[in-house]
Formats: sequence, C-alpha cells, structure tokens
Amino acid sequence: MATFLPQFQSIKSSFAHIVLSVEDVSDLWPTIKKGFEERLPFKRASLNNKTRNPVLVDELPAEFILTTDARLRSRFPQEQSLFWFREPYATIVLVTCEDLDEFKNILKPRLKLIVQNDDREWFIVYVSKAPAHNDQATKMAKKVFAKLEVDFSSKKRERCCKLDIHGPDPNFWDDLEGKIMECIRNTLDRRILFYEEEIRKLSEQRFMPVWNFCNFFILKESLAFMFEVAHLHEDALREYDELELCYLETVNMAGKQRDFGGMEKGDDQATLLDSGKKALAQIVQDDSFREFEFRQYLFSCQAKLLFKLKRPFEVASRGYSFIISFSGALALHESMLPFCMREVWVITACLALIGATASNYEDGLAAPDVEKEFYRVQGELHTLCHTKFMRLGHLVGYGSDIERSPVNSASLSMLPWPKPAVWPPLPPDASSEVLAKEKMILQESPRLKHFGIQRKPLPLEPSVLLREANRRRASLSAGNMSDLFDGRPRSGDGDSSGTPSAVQRVSNVSMSRTLSSPGNFDGSIDRPMRLAEIFVAAEHALRNTISDAELWKSLSSVEEFEKKYLDLSKGAANNYHRSWWKRHGVVLDGEIAAVHHKHENYDLAANLYEKVCALYAGEGWENLLAEVLPNLAECQKILSDQAGYLSSCVKLLSLDKGLFLPKERQAFQSEVVRLAHSEMEHPVPLDVSSLITFSSNQGPPLELCDGDPGTLTVALWSGFPDDITLESLSVMLTATNSNDEGAKAIKSSEAIVLMPGRNNITVSLPPQKPGSYVLGALTGQIGQLRFRSHSFSKGGPADTDDFMSFEKPTRPVLKVARPRSLVDLAAAVSSALLMNETQWVGIIVKPINYSLKGAVLHIDTGPGLSIAEKHEIEIEKHEFGANNTDHSDNPPDNHSPVSADVKQLSLEDGKINLPDWTSNITSVLWIPLKAISHGLAEGTPAGTVSQRQSIVDGLRTIALRLDFGVSHNQTFEKTVAVHFTDPFYVTTRVADKCSDGTLLLQVILQSQVKASLTVSDAWLDLQDGFAHTGKGDGRPVSKFFPLIVSSKSRAGILFSICVVDTPAKDGEELDPISVLNIRYTISGDRNLGAHSPVTKELTGPENETDPLTFRSALVLQRPVLDPCFAVGFLPLPSNGLRVGQLVTMKWRVERLKDSGKDVDSDDVDEVLYEVNVNSENWMVAGRKRGYTSLSTKQGSIIVISILCLPLVAGYVRPPQLGLPDVDKANISCNPPGPHLVCVLPPAFSSSYCVPAA
Amino acid sequence: MASTACFMIVSKNDIPIYEAEVGTVPKKEDAAHQHQFILHAALDIVQDTAWNTSAMFLKSIDRFNDLVVSVYVTAGHILSFVMSD
Repeated sequence: MATFLPQFQSIKSSFAHIVLSVEDVSDLWPTIKKGFEERLPFKRASLNNKTRNPVLVDELPAEFILTTDARLRSRFPQEQSLFWFREPYATIVLVTCEDLDEFKNILKPRLKLIVQNDDREWFIVYVSKAPAHNDQATKMAKKVFAKLEVDFSSKKRERCCKLDIHGPDPNFWDDLEGKIMECIRNTLDRRILFYEEEIRKLSEQRFMPVWNFCNFFILKESLAFMFEVAHLHEDALREYDELELCYLETVNMAGKQRDFGGMEKGDDQATLLDSGKKALAQIVQDDSFREFEFRQYLFSCQAKLLFKLKRPFEVASRGYSFIISFSGALALHESMLPFCMREVWVITACLALIGATASNYEDGLAAPDVEKEFYRVQGELHTLCHTKFMRLGHLVGYGSDIERSPVNSASLSMLPWPKPAVWPPLPPDASSEVLAKEKMILQESPRLKHFGIQRKPLPLEPSVLLREANRRRASLSAGNMSDLFDGRPRSGDGDSSGTPSAVQRVSNVSMSRTLSSPGNFDGSIDRPMRLAEIFVAAEHALRNTISDAELWKSLSSVEEFEKKYLDLSKGAANNYHRSWWKRHGVVLDGEIAAVHHKHENYDLAANLYEKVCALYAGEGWENLLAEVLPNLAECQKILSDQAGYLSSCVKLLSLDKGLFLPKERQAFQSEVVRLAHSEMEHPVPLDVSSLITFSSNQGPPLELCDGDPGTLTVALWSGFPDDITLESLSVMLTATNSNDEGAKAIKSSEAIVLMPGRNNITVSLPPQKPGSYVLGALTGQIGQLRFRSHSFSKGGPADTDDFMSFEKPTRPVLKVARPRSLVDLAAAVSSALLMNETQWVGIIVKPINYSLKGAVLHIDTGPGLSIAEKHEIEIEKHEFGANNTDHSDNPPDNHSPVSADVKQLSLEDGKINLPDWTSNITSVLWIPLKAISHGLAEGTPAGTVSQRQSIVDGLRTIALRLDFGVSHNQTFEKTVAVHFTDPFYVTTRVADKCSDGTLLLQVILQSQVKASLTVSDAWLDLQDGFAHTGKGDGRPVSKFFPLIVSSKSRAGILFSICVVDTPAKDGEELDPISVLNIRYTISGDRNLGAHSPVTKELTGPENETDPLTFRSALVLQRPVLDPCFAVGFLPLPSNGLRVGQLVTMKWRVERLKDSGKDVDSDDVDEVLYEVNVNSENWMVAGRKRGYTSLSTKQGSIIVISILCLPLVAGYVRPPQLGLPDVDKANISCNPPGPHLVCVLPPAFSSSYCVPAA
Repeated sequence: MASTACFMIVSKNDIPIYEAEVGTVPKKEDAAHQHQFILHAALDIVQDTAWNTSAMFLKSIDRFNDLVVSVYVTAGHILSFVMSD
C-alpha cells in the first residue's frame, strides 16, 4: 500500500472540495448548471462527526461534476476503496419527461439501472419544461412527476424533487440543498465507518512484524483529510494527534534502528509549518518515515488545522513544546547531524513559528488568559531563539560582543556546547581568516566599567571553548588533552609540535588570546587549535550547515549579528511585557539597553536601564541591581542627568557593602561629593533614605516643660564608606496629636562630619508646643546639594523584631508637657509686721520639680512700702515646719549639698540673682522692707462702736517676677500681700469717776503682733480741757514697768486725770487730741511675724535693741452732764406690724430744762424734728421734717406721730426721730427706741375664698 | 556527585530575605548572580501559578537548563524557593 504514497499525495494536493456527481440523463445540465452552482458553497451544512454528533459547518464548499467527467471515470476499484474520500458524496440524477409512456418505457428502466448501485447516495431532480400558461403540459408534467415519486421515493426517504424551469418554486432550492446534505451526511458516515474499520484492523496488527506504518498512515491521513475536506477540522486534528502518538510509539520502539534524517541540504531550515516542503515518498524508510521530516510534517498538518480553527495561540504553545522536544531528539542524533544543526534548526523553527502565529493572531481573538499565555509563549520562543543565536555567535567569535549580563550568562553558561562527533577541522587556506580573527581578538578590549569597578566577567561558556573544541577533535585523544592542560609533554604519539610554550599558551584562555601569534599555525592536525582557528573552523562548518541566507547574513558580521540580537531581544521583551511577565520583560530590556549603551545611544539605554533598576530595587534583589546600576549611572553621567546620576550613586552606596569593593564605594562617594560641591544646573533634592538613616536614641523620649528649649540627640547611620561633611542638617519633628500642624524643622547650626556607621547628632530645640513629637524626616545639605532622608534606621533600636515592616510606628522622641506651674512664690509669714519699722519680709521660692538655676527675681514694691536698700537681702533654706530638724531619723539635708546657712544677696536694679544651690530646693528670701503710714494710730474711747484700724490699711503688696528656665524663657509673676500693723490697738474707758472730779482713765493695750512686747514706759499727753492729777508728768498711776505684753494679749494702764477749764487763748486752737506715748521693745521671730526692726548693724539677736516708741491719738470727751430734751419711743400697737398696713409711730419729746433763752415768757419754742428712715423699708405718710411747737418750760411734753407704712417684711430698723437743732449731747433717749422691729408679711387675701352672698 | 542547590526565602513583596547555597558544588563567584537571576525570573511564574492552585507546594514550576525550581508558598505568600539540578 505504501506504493500509493505518491498518488495519495497528488490526490491530496488536487482535491480540495466535496464532489457531487450529476447524472445528466436528459441533457439538462447546461441549462440548469448556473442555478445549481449559485448555491455553492453551502451555507450551514449539518454533518455528523466521528462520534456521530451533529456539527454545523458554515460554508461547505463543494463541486458538481458530471458523471461523464474524466476525473470520475478513470479509477481502479482498489484505489477507490483507499481514496474513497475523493469519490462523489451524492449523485444527482437530472431527468425530464413529458409523456407517461415514454417515462414508463424508456426513462424508468434507465433510471433503475442508474440507481441500482447501493453504494451511492442519489436522488432525482425532475426538471419540468412546461410553460406556466400551458395547462396541458403542466398537468402532464405533474403526472409524470407523481409517477416518478411512486416509483423511486419510499416512505422512509424522499428521493425526488421537481424543478420548474419556467416558474421556479422557491422551495425547490431548499429542498435540493436538504437532499444534497442528506446524501453527503450519509456518505460521510458510511466512509467514516469504513475507515474506522480499516484502521482498527491495522491497529490490531501493530505489534506484529508485518505491521507497516505507512499503510496505517495513509488510512489515517485519508480519514483526516476527509474530515478536513468536510470542514470537520476538529476531527481531522484529532486524527493527526493520534497519528503522532502512534508514530512516536513506533519510532521509539527498541530494536529498530532507523535513519533519523536531517542530513540533506536545506534540512537545517525547520519545516514545521510547511508540510509540502518534502514529498512523503522521499522520507519513507522501510515501513515507516524518517523521524526528522515526518514529525515536522505531522506538526505542520496540525498547525494548518489549528490555524483554520483560528487557534494560533495553540499553534504557538504546541509549537514551543514541539521545538523543545524535537530539539531533544536532535541532541540524541547530534553526532550524526551537521555541525550545530540543532541550534540552527531551533532558530529557524522559532522564527517560523513566531512569524506564522503572530500573523495569524489578532488581538482580542481569545480570552485574556489565553492571550496572556500566547504572548508568554511568543516571549519564550524569542528567548529560545535568542539563546541559540548567541551560541552560534559565540562560536564564530562574537562572544566579546555579547553582554555578560546575568541573563545571558545564565542562559549560555548552562547550555552545553554542541557535541559533534568531531569538532570541525580548520579548512585549508583559511590562514587569512584566522589572521583576521586573531586581529579581532587582539583588538577587543574588555570594556571598563564606570567607577573603575573591576569584577570577574560573568561566564558565557559552560566550559572553556578551547578545551571543548580540542577535546572533540578527531586526532586528539583524551590523553592528549590531559597533557594539554597539565602542561606535561605528550608521550603517546611522539609528535612534539605541542612545545611547552604552546602548551602553556593554551592553558589559559586569556593568555592564549594575547600570546597566540599569527605565524604559528602550520596546519598540523595534531596541534591543538587556537581560539581564532576554532572560530574560523566553526564559521566554515556553519556555512555548510546553514542554508538560510538570511540567518547566515546575521552571522556574517558583528553588525548584522548585533542587529539580529537586538531584534530578538526586543521581540522577547515586548512579548513578555504583554504577557505580564514583567521580570522576564524587564531583564530583556536590560539586554537591549546594553546594546544601546555599547553603541552610545545613552538616552535609550538610560531609559531601559532605569526600568531594570526600578524592578530590581523595588524588589530588593541587590545582587542583580549591582550588575546594572553602574551602567545606568554611567549613562546618566554622560547625559548630564545630574539628579539621576546622584540618585544612582546614592543607590550604589546603599547597596549591600559586600557587593562592591571599598575602593569602588569610595569612588561612588567621591562622585556624590564632587557633584554636591559643583555648580549644579538644576539642583534637586536628593533622597538619601537608603543611605542615611536615623532614629531617636534609645531610652525614654526627651521630656520638656512647656516653653523650654532643649537639646535633642538623634542617632544617624551613615552608609558612606568615608567621612562626609554635611553643611547643615535639619530634623523634622512631627506632632502626633495634631493633624493640622505640619512638621517643624529643627536645624543643626554647624557643619557635621558623619563618620561611617553610627553618629550621635545633637540639635538644639527651640520651645515647642505641648504634645508628643516623632522624628519625621531628615534634611540637610552636602555642599550645594540638598538631601532628604525619611527612613528610620533598621539597625537602630532593638525593637525591630518585625523584619518585614519598614514603616513601623515610630516612638515619640520628644514630649512637651502641658503648661503647669513650675514654681511658686509666697509670703513666708502671714501674721502682721510692724508698721513704720524695717521688717524682714520672707518670700518663699518653691520650685515645683523644675530647676531654678540662674533664676532672677524682680521685686517691685507697691505704694507705702520701700526696700531698705542699705541692707543686704538674705536667703536661706526653707524648713517645712519647725519640727523638721528635730527628726533625728532623717539625715540632715543629705539631698542637698548646700548648707542651710543664711546667705546675703544684694539687690541690683530691683533684681536678685538666686544662687544656684537654691535651684532645686525651697528657699526663703528675706527682704528688708519698711511700710510707711503717715497717720497716727487712733485709740477708741470705751462704749463707742469699735472703729479699729481696717486691715486693708495695713496691707502692702510686693509685685514679684521670677525669670527662670534654661534660657530665662519661663516667667512667673505674683503679687504677694504683706500685712503691717501697729504694735498695739488702744482703747480707753473711764474706770471711775471720783467724787472730787478725778477721772481714772484706763488705757487698754491690745497686742496686735505675734511677738512679745515689753513696755518700758508710757505717758499721756493730754488735750486741752484735761489735766493730770498729782505730779502731772503724764505717767500712769502705777509703775509696773517693764510691762510685758505677750502675743495677742491685753494690758491696761491707769491714768488719773481731771477736767479743767482751759481758758481759750486768742488765736490758738485748742489741742483736741491726747496722745499716748509708749516706749517698748519687741522680741519676735521673723519666721513667725513681727520682730525687731532691721538695723544696719547686725549685732545679733541677743543684744538689746533700742526701745521703740508708739504713739496713739486718743480723743477724750468731756462728760455729758445736762440733757435738755428726752426723746422717748412710744410702744407700737400690740397686734404687730404688717406689710402694707399703716402704723402710727409715736415719739414723746419732753423738755428737761427750761430753755435758757427766755425763761419768763410763756412762749412756745419751735423745735425742729426729722424722721430718719430707710425709704426702701418704710414709706412715710406726711412730712419727715418739720417744726413743732413746745413750751419752753421744763417738763413740757409733746408727742410726734408719724404715719408709716412698712414695705418689706422681716426685721427692719424702725424710723428714728432726731432733733437736728439740738446737740446730741443734750438729748437723752428715754426710753430708747428699738433697734429692729418685726414686720409681718401681708395678710392673706381671703376675698377669693368667701362665697358670693 | 556534586550538586547545585540554592535555597531562598522571598517575602510577600518579592524581596529576598534569605539565601543559602546548599549544594555540594563549590561556590563560584558568579553563581550568586545566576541563581538570583533564575529565582527572580521564576517569580513571574509563581505569580501566575500560585493563585490558580490550592496546593502550597508548587513542584518544578520552572526549569532553566538543568536547574529545576520548586517553590513552597505559605498562606501569607512567603515563598520558599529551592533550586537544584
């Protein structure tokens, strides 16, 4: 059957549609052909697939062929069964007849003969030629058609249809199409069954020796082809898949050594998408096919069907897998294949697949996931092609033009060298080429990396090519190789061309490059090849292998090589990006950048490098970043992108220290410093967050009082390898409690030199608002360059247990307390001090958990108070309570190094500088002050309402202002009240009125101070009208001096005086005041109250001080002897007073003496009276003031009645009657009126309660 | 037989946080780059694969010539890569 292969191929190539045969019995076809062919291709054909499921096929092409056509006539029966798929799928019998007899006698037997073959699906189209207006003819046609139906249609199947030429029935065409479809479907089903049966039979013999794959293939592909022709592509694909599986099974069957193929010219070009490249008959081998061609053929058939199914993405993914697996198969046969056949094939296969799938793919054709996968596969195909292409380039000597990047290194260094059976030998007469290669090798200089980075270049070779090539040479045995590398002379073949110098030369790649001399090759086959020779040899071999002119062109020169290299890189990168494999894409962007970099397209290179660096930096892959970043920096430097360059330098510095040598890191730093100190065109702030990190110092945050400045210590970690000078540095403080307030910059004034590693920086902090603050960011300047860091140190505080979180909540670094009282000033003594004497006024200065170091107290005395400036001011430690020192348990003042001694201070311009030892302890400041009161103290006569000196009179104020704090920023102001008083309060009373007119005047002294007063002497200077009895020196009767009056106690002194008439002297005023003089001394403690006045000479408290003199004015009144009138208050009505109820107030005025003026006459005297009343409480009905007549005789009485109305309830003062014209001394109140009367509330009104009569 | 093996832990932000060469092949200077490169590229595959399976151990998700990359994905998306030949 295998002999039918060529025929099968030609049938396949010439057969493209389903064939429908037309049996034209009555020569009608030329008439109706047009109408029939207009129906093609069939829309919406319904066919059954292999599993007998209906499948709708859009656009089924078909062809009508007359049975008399030569194509259908010349076939052998055997062919027919094998290539049954090309036989007609339906037979349409065209007949016409207008006579029943003719039909019965001629047409019917003929038709019977035609349709007797059961194999064919047929139906009859009766064509009526009867014109529409000819009823006779029409009737006849109907009769004939009816007869036809009776004879040929059955109940099961309608086999006849009628076409009216002159009046076509619109239903006819549908009817026709339906019948054709039915025929095709039935034929197809039958043929599928046939093929399945045949295939099954063959499959059963698979493991028999007679098994022939070619036969199986022809059957299987026939079936597949039939499906394809019927547009059942899915089924066709399935057949090819099965065929492939079956083939792989047979090809891998052990024991059958077959020719692999691939040895022919042009085989290096993949035919995986071109099924017709090579005839199948050419690749037959024994009972099967050659693997090399046949697998590609099968894939091409599958790909064709997949493209027809609009699944280019599947072609790509299947293709990629195919290339990988086929490459493996090529590797197995590599030793037999031409040199680098595998690589070349993979390149051409990838390129073909990329081209075909990309051109067949339209965006949006597939679901997003599928699309993503498609682009990924495209990327993979590009990458695979890229790798193999690089390998070829490397073999012909372009290795130095391949970027030694991690991706290339990883791809190539793990990809084994080609393994030909024998490494291609150097062709004869290639010396000039070798010379050229040598020159190329010599000329190439390793590109120096920026910053003088010296690094071992990444390898591009799995093993040294020189060694590998020489090892695989036919004439060198393994023993030779060991000689080659061990440096020992070879012992085997006695050929001494490998001189020691030559041996050493090849022992190192770099040495061989530099030392190989062009004149040294002599073509000796046993001499190890030099690198240039290897390149030339490989190039020649590749020229034989590669048949694709385009590919060869790409390898012909460095420029072409780079162009292709760039194309492939770009293709891979683009596709990876479209597939969202950003890492793969970006890595390849880096390759493109490297090429641009090499060609000095720095702009493009920098753009791409930035992408690469951003990815690596973003994900923290520092090893990879360290490879690319110097290149980016170099591009940026050349492009004068200072900002970018600086940022790159900073990034380089912040990479792991182990990635660069110290020298290199110093180079980075020097670049930063150089730029920072140069004139930058567009100065930009530089982010050094990764390089300079900072944190607060460990321990609690700095706590400050409101308004206080402070110093903040910040720990800075410098990642610079050397010291670096910062011209300025600012720390941003951010308040944690308020959102509205932005960060405040705290600037360090002087330049700072940062050492590598940890530095402690101290910045002075101006007063801050209350709240807690965290470190925000760090800004500063290096030269002209402003930098900024906002990252907190990872290595700083010990609480960085969470390695992942870089943005950990920061600890407060500063806490500014809310305003509180920091100090208190108070008067030390609350009791009164002596007036008009210099007294120590104590001011307690009490710091409240706050140091008063350097505090200054401003003292401003109020009116009536002055500082005795002659005296020093004293300060001493304040003892809380007198008993404190008695507690022996407490060690005396061990908390303070200061002695409790009194220290003198001096006042300057109203200011006192407090000594430092008082800064943390409560101290008392003693200020000598003198309160001045110009008035004389007044005594009070007995019996009168006490008119003691008001306390307010003795109050004086001292305005104090304390400036304190670290920089005198805090102020505390307070006005302290100090109470001054006279030592005594004096009252007098007449103790006894003797019959001889002597009056015993008792003077009572009330001590007003908390001190013991000693009266040493007292005398009274009497006013006019009074005189001392006895000696008259004004001294008291009894002399018990010194009289000691203790604190708050009273003492009395008796004076004996008498009333005398003092003749009025002309022009002299009578002295109206008596003055009491008291000489006394005071002994008191300034800690308690009044004390001895401050004297200039401090002679000590024990010494007697000069007695003081106290003078008090007394007013003595002559006794009232003769009242003239008596005013008596008459009782009020007994029913009491009520608000709103009129009441009559009555006073009785009685004349006690005869009026001195005119005693004889009976005249009445007019007496002026006046009612004093509080108008808020009383309403007076009538006159308040008036004259009333009273007889001038003694005993005359008059009653004055005033009608009053109480206005308020309660105890109120009643109206008082006064006689303004009469001296008070001459009025006797008898009986005296009440001080208060009770006024009841108004009576309740009962008017609402009484029922109406 | 000498073997190459590299173990690496990558945080959920794709940041490498631990790396160890655990193979018996003596460490080469350039191997670090290569291994990092391969594992970094494998992240692309992990990002596609990890969310499409309930398995935490993704066996041989990537192959680079002779090196096979496997990854264990924790619930918190911490990746533990093992690369070996």
